[in-house]
Amino acid sequence: MQSREQLDQEAELISRYLLGVSPAGAERSSYADAMLKLDLQLPVFEQELWKSMMRSRTRMAYIDAGLAFRDPHNIVRRKLFTMLAILEASPHHTRYFLSRDFSFFYFIKVGLVGIRAIWRALVGVIIVNNIRMRCS
Amino acid sequence: MQLRYDYIVVGSGATGAIAAYSLAGSGVNVAVLDVGVEDERYRNSIPDKDFLSIRREESGQKEYFLGKDYEGIPWDDSRVGSQLTPPRKFLTEGVRRYLPFDSETFFPMESLAKGGLGGGWGLGCYEFSEKELQAIGLDKTEIRKGYDAVADHIGISGQKDDASPYCLGDLKNYQPVSDLEKNLDGIYSSYKKQKASLNRKGVYVGRTALALLTRDKGDRSALKYKDMYFWTDKDRSAYRSWMTIDQLQKKPNFAYHRHCLVTRFREHADGVDVHVWRTDIDKEEIFSCKKLILSPGVLGTARIVMRSFDHKKEQLPVICNPYCYIPCIQWRMLGKATEQRRAGLGQLMLFLDEKGDNFDVPMSTLYSYRSLLLFKLIKETPLNYSDARIIMQYLESSFTIAGLHHPERPTASKFIRLKADENSVTGDALAGQYILSDEEIALNERRENKIKWALKKLGCRPLRTVHTAHGGSIHYAGTLPFSESGDLFTVHGSGKLAGTKNVFVADGSGFNYLPAKGLTFTLMANAYNVAKNALKNE
Repeated sequence: MQSREQLDQEAELISRYLLGVSPAGAERSSYADAMLKLDLQLPVFEQELWKSMMRSRTRMAYIDAGLAFRDPHNIVRRKLFTMLAILEASPHHTRYFLSRDFSFFYFIKVGLVGIRAIWRALVGVIIVNNIRMRCS
Repeated sequence: MQLRYDYIVVGSGATGAIAAYSLAGSGVNVAVLDVGVEDERYRNSIPDKDFLSIRREESGQKEYFLGKDYEGIPWDDSRVGSQLTPPRKFLTEGVRRYLPFDSETFFPMESLAKGGLGGGWGLGCYEFSEKELQAIGLDKTEIRKGYDAVADHIGISGQKDDASPYCLGDLKNYQPVSDLEKNLDGIYSSYKKQKASLNRKGVYVGRTALALLTRDKGDRSALKYKDMYFWTDKDRSAYRSWMTIDQLQKKPNFAYHRHCLVTRFREHADGVDVHVWRTDIDKEEIFSCKKLILSPGVLGTARIVMRSFDHKKEQLPVICNPYCYIPCIQWRMLGKATEQRRAGLGQLMLFLDEKGDNFDVPMSTLYSYRSLLLFKLIKETPLNYSDARIIMQYLESSFTIAGLHHPERPTASKFIRLKADENSVTGDALAGQYILSDEEIALNERRENKIKWALKKLGCRPLRTVHTAHGGSIHYAGTLPFSESGDLFTVHGSGKLAGTKNVFVADGSGFNYLPAKGLTFTLMANAYNVAKNALKNE
């Protein structure tokens, strides 16, 4: 079972990956509670994936992208998804989730994000395959 | 506890509540037997605010938006019941234990809740056409009385427009229609500009008649546009069957018994014995009545009837509207903020009536997306969560979801049966099969393509078509088809169960055909009439 400290570190990194912000105390607690309740048992491959993701936001992004493309229901993604939901259900981060009047040119940013997402998926698939080969 | 009544009604859902209402109003002594699961966890935790205010201000929102055990963060693939937010999950509590269902092709939803599946009803009210009623086995003149009586009781709002032949029909008593939200208003305006060309192709768009108050009625208040219908019914502007049960509980001739799972009945010279499994004390109890009204839902009625008759039938037919949903992007709403004040319901309808005869008409309810939270949309994308969030936040206000129902008929490949199951509380389980023929699939696909064409004309670009598993429409009927033959496992047009003197069926078990239009309003109208018919034999 993971310690609170480990879960706190996970909450911090995942939140920085998802929104670029540190989570508030209540959000850290919620993530820890959720993980203890879900009690996700990571098989060997997923443990390696998670270890790699926890090294940096960048690695987390690539591996998340690779899994989203090839294995969207992989159990490590559930950790990210849970934190995403917790961050959304908080009054502190509504600007990242609620619709608003975007400027006309915002769609250019959205287009660039889309291109980045595809790039991350391509790189991510390679990283995930490498980890899989190391584990087998 | 009193165990003997003039009338016993089984179930407190849409049909049970209305049947009880119809009976209690005549002065007879009525009891509703129900398992009656209620929301013990969330009902007092949701503040009386609109969705945006809650999102911006409430630090405790995680509790009800995500669930106390985070049960509102779905991870599996299933999409049926996505409208079951944590405060609504009680609707299906206990079902696995008491109503086991085994199938690889049919996945119905049932409820043991007080108010039944009506607690998650989308509120759409549709008067069926004469042809539809005929195909079902209902009489147009009789059902008219039921429609009017039910509308008076529940409160309906709507307006006369191109959709009204399919919704309001000949209803006279209704309140003004609710204000249309921005997303749907754009579509409706687009329709009005292109009406002639769309009508030539059989496409009609208009406002849904909803069981939703826009004026105060009794102790229920008018809609306050809080966009919280997926979470709470605090202001009671949306009709829910439990409201009728609560109202009836003030009457001296009415009793509501919870924790009562009706398992079977036994008719005798003096009336009917109703066998109940008490879910609170795990014991059997026997109630008795002069007349029994079965309305626990089509599958519940099927279980009870199959257990009760000495003659056993191998299987019963079942029909269920095929359902899919088509997420679309509406260009005109891209990058726009969603308004604070909105109803958040399926306020706009599209009907495909190619022959112009109001029969076999597929229908699509149009919804925008907001109050179910963005993370659920993000999960649907094949992208990493960080980038998906940015993209979906931009797209969210432009999403229009077209929920599409197809009409349905019975065939030999659609059936249920009762099988022995020693692990179940009742010693049995329902099993079933639901397979569409190639012709049915092709017909539905053609209709879906036509509707997608119409959506594009209206400025909504379909992204994909998601077919839910059979059972996903949560509309079931036809297990005890209407017939005057008197054959066992059929129901007379009056609602009387063939082979009995004093047992009536008030739900959709008798319906021989399912229009695509939502059937709740017609079910309630039929239930009202069945109760009146049961009284006539006094």
